[in-house]
Amino acid sequence: MTTQRAEAAAAPAIDIRFGQVGLIQVLIWTTDPGAILDELTGRVATAPKFFQRTAVAVDVGPLGREPSVEEMRGVLEAVRRAGMAPVGLASGPAAAQALSEPLDLPLLPPFREFHPPAEALGRSARRVEPVPVDIEPEGVAAQVHTHPVRSGQRTYARGRDLVVTAMVGAGAEVIADGCVHVYGALRGRAVAGARGDTAARVFCQEFHAELVSIAGVFRVFETLPPELAGKPVQAWLDGDVLRFERLGV
Amino acid sequence: MTEIIVVTSGKGGVGKTTTSASMACGLARRGKRVAVIDFDIGLRNLDLIMGCERRVVYDFVNVINGDCTLKQALIKDKRIETLFVLAASQTRDKDALTEEGVRKVLDELIADGFDYILCDSPAGIEKGAHLAMYFADRAVVVVNPEVSSVRDSDRILGLLSSKTHRSSNGNGGVKEHLLLTRYNPRRVASGEMMSVGDVKEILGLDVIGVVPESPDVLAASNSGVPVILNDDSDAAAAYSDAVARLLGEELPLRFLEEPKRGFFARMFGG
Repeated sequence: MTTQRAEAAAAPAIDIRFGQVGLIQVLIWTTDPGAILDELTGRVATAPKFFQRTAVAVDVGPLGREPSVEEMRGVLEAVRRAGMAPVGLASGPAAAQALSEPLDLPLLPPFREFHPPAEALGRSARRVEPVPVDIEPEGVAAQVHTHPVRSGQRTYARGRDLVVTAMVGAGAEVIADGCVHVYGALRGRAVAGARGDTAARVFCQEFHAELVSIAGVFRVFETLPPELAGKPVQAWLDGDVLRFERLGV
Repeated sequence: MTEIIVVTSGKGGVGKTTTSASMACGLARRGKRVAVIDFDIGLRNLDLIMGCERRVVYDFVNVINGDCTLKQALIKDKRIETLFVLAASQTRDKDALTEEGVRKVLDELIADGFDYILCDSPAGIEKGAHLAMYFADRAVVVVNPEVSSVRDSDRILGLLSSKTHRSSNGNGGVKEHLLLTRYNPRRVASGEMMSVGDVKEILGLDVIGVVPESPDVLAASNSGVPVILNDDSDAAAAYSDAVARLLGEELPLRFLEEPKRGFFARMFGG
């Protein structure tokens, strides 16, 4: 127990804050490393810059059983080889201290249930308000691009929609965490819901896209279906299936 | 006010050097003081097309390295007195170019009162092409009506709008123009070749000229006389029109239709 004067004189080396970060979860349905690596590599390929070295929490809940430590080593190796960085296990009935300790990965409790004891928050006993680290405010306007996106260029709207009021050239990439709207010809790749928002959509005025991806589910267009080619089209995710439909009409 | 114009394309072999030579002559013929510079270090062609390959003593890299003065390296054209050529080095490669060196040479040309500096870019998107476009005020993007050329030009347009001096200092960006070359109206009519409209739709830009495919271009390269100086040639007329449009004149596009053969020509061949 230190005196008031001593406390005031000592300069702090650290502080502990109750913070929030955006974390991608990788849900595991099988512990087969080959299958995991194949699928993850495919997902990473749809938006390589944003999945590479991304911190992920591995959630073994969908397995329905508690996997062995050896099985989990294989799973984690596959996740790392796909280019992601596992930083913890999402806690749940299947994950437990029994896995966390040997794998040296912390158990990440669901956000809402996290209540650190007051003493853990440091010298001030009053609770520190959470400081959002990577959360964008709600209702922020879309990122607007008024010039053509040329072949080889890539544009990314973080945490919001992307609007392009010109054409997107073949070999160009337009990416958004929200929706992608192209008021012009879309000839390149459109990636919506880049960080997993399955409600994101892609809209364009003239559809000639090479590839469309929403929340990691993608379709390559080797040939353009005649009912969509050159028409105003929207794309959305219906469960696990990408759907495309003419707009207007 | 000196204007620096880069002639670029991305794709190789579409007519950059042919265009640089003809446009330089076209501008100089109208009394402008013009310097045309070959940025294709190691694979120089501009001096061949301009017909001065046997008069190259010092080159662009010599000037950058300080081996000689700019005046010693500039080759005065024998036909048009306000036209000067700065040849590239044949023995070195693109690594010999530096941003500082290029800037110094361009500044010296500006100080010397040149009206136009044409930069003949090499193909590709690496150092030579990058430095050729970096200081440009305007760009003439040469395109063949053919898919890979159009795709490469789209890439180049992207680089012009993002990796140039003007794109980063808020001076209004590089003014972009498309020049369609090797246009063959018969093949366009039969649907084999892209039309002017097709190219405009994909690249989103109007053309500053359409140069028809012409045997005169090969003859011009072989003789070292830029094709614009051949008064009998359609390609020459097209280049003249393009220069006029570059200077702000409004002219309708010519040579978009197959030339109609007259009665006698059809009867007696020819």
